[in-house]
Amino acid sequence: MKINTALAQGLVRCHSCGFLGKRDIRLTKCPLCASPLHGRQPHSVQKTLAYLLSAYLLYIPANIFPIMTVTKLGAGEPHTIIGGIIALINSDMLPIALLVLVASILVPLLKLIGISLLLLYVQRGWTGDAYRWTVMYRIISFVGRWSMLDIFMISILVALVDMGSISEVLAGPAATAFGAVVVLTMLAAKSFDPRLIWDNQNKP
Amino acid sequence: MPAAHFSACPDCDLLLNRALPQIGSTAHCPRCGCLLHRPRTDSVERTLALSIAGLLLLFPANFLPLVGIKVLGHEKDGTLWTGVMTLFNEHQWAVAILVFLSSILLPFINIVLCLLVSGHLHHNRRHRYLTHWLYWLQHLEEWAMLEVYCLGIIVACVKLSAMAELQFGLGLYAFVGLLFTNALLTSNLDGHLFWQRIAQLNGQHYEN
Ligand SMILES: [Zn+2]
Ligand SMILES: [Zn+2]
Repeated sequence: MKINTALAQGLVRCHSCGFLGKRDIRLTKCPLCASPLHGRQPHSVQKTLAYLLSAYLLYIPANIFPIMTVTKLGAGEPHTIIGGIIALINSDMLPIALLVLVASILVPLLKLIGISLLLLYVQRGWTGDAYRWTVMYRIISFVGRWSMLDIFMISILVALVDMGSISEVLAGPAATAFGAVVVLTMLAAKSFDPRLIWDNQNKP
Repeated sequence: MPAAHFSACPDCDLLLNRALPQIGSTAHCPRCGCLLHRPRTDSVERTLALSIAGLLLLFPANFLPLVGIKVLGHEKDGTLWTGVMTLFNEHQWAVAILVFLSSILLPFINIVLCLLVSGHLHHNRRHRYLTHWLYWLQHLEEWAMLEVYCLGIIVACVKLSAMAELQFGLGLYAFVGLLFTNALLTSNLDGHLFWQRIAQLNGQHYEN
């Protein structure tokens, strides 16, 4: 069944202001907001793939290296992301441990896998339930920012617990890697064009 | 086919007859369920009022202490800025810049842009950068993460509560106020209406 999309009718929607115009080689910029007009985001799959691969690479150091070092009375103890969660469980703070587990481990991992599947769906020309895949895309775009939780928590701990040898919290190398993973997965979600999911349905 | 009678779904590109829902109701895409339009009462005026309130709250939220701790007689206060400064001094430049952008600079820029756009629209005044302001506002919005920072404060406090005495500062109340103002600002700004008003000001015929 052929569905009536704007592109099929020779119309292009401005991504910023919603202006709908005739597709024309001379009309490269939106007459209202002056942002570039494209039928689909240009090189959406390639850009998303590039961000995604960088995020996969940085996900490894983000989980191997310590994200912070906690010093108590002179003895320093490095914590990885998982180590921090285990420490929370050991001190009987299960709800907070679960929150950090979801924000720092599950959300980044599910985002990486989810965006990979979306790329496969588009590249392989799958035609499964496009509605569900769009919902998944929306969830991925929405939850991404919440992974910054660990980074913000560290920036607060670092500022407050700063008493030399008595007790001190220092950020570790994994903090940079983890922050980069969050930003890169957000960029990957932003450069993915969900209309490509629906274009699969229209292909013969 | 005249484009003016139609609009397209941003998520699935379905061509639609332009829906003009009443205030209080919403228009969704029949194919993918994308929220197309949610008109708001007095969107321009509310955005203006809320952005002024946000600007006023921004200063205490930034410079007054959020949380203070007391360990073995040592006291220390933390503001939004001390976290960034400490990370910077520890040579964690990338993390420091990331925290600075998402918790200090971008929330500030967002509120200023809201104020500029709604202020000009309220007084029906044209400005040559009006479209640019609204454009940047729409694109920078998702990088300001005050609500995530708030959750970060909660988790940090729970972690610290075992080893130290905590005091909540005035800055925290301003920060929570700012958080709510920001959330209201996002939900009250009607992008459709704003673009339409800008087009009217510029003398362009435009409906979306
Ligand atoms: Zn436009
Ligand atoms: Zn749709």
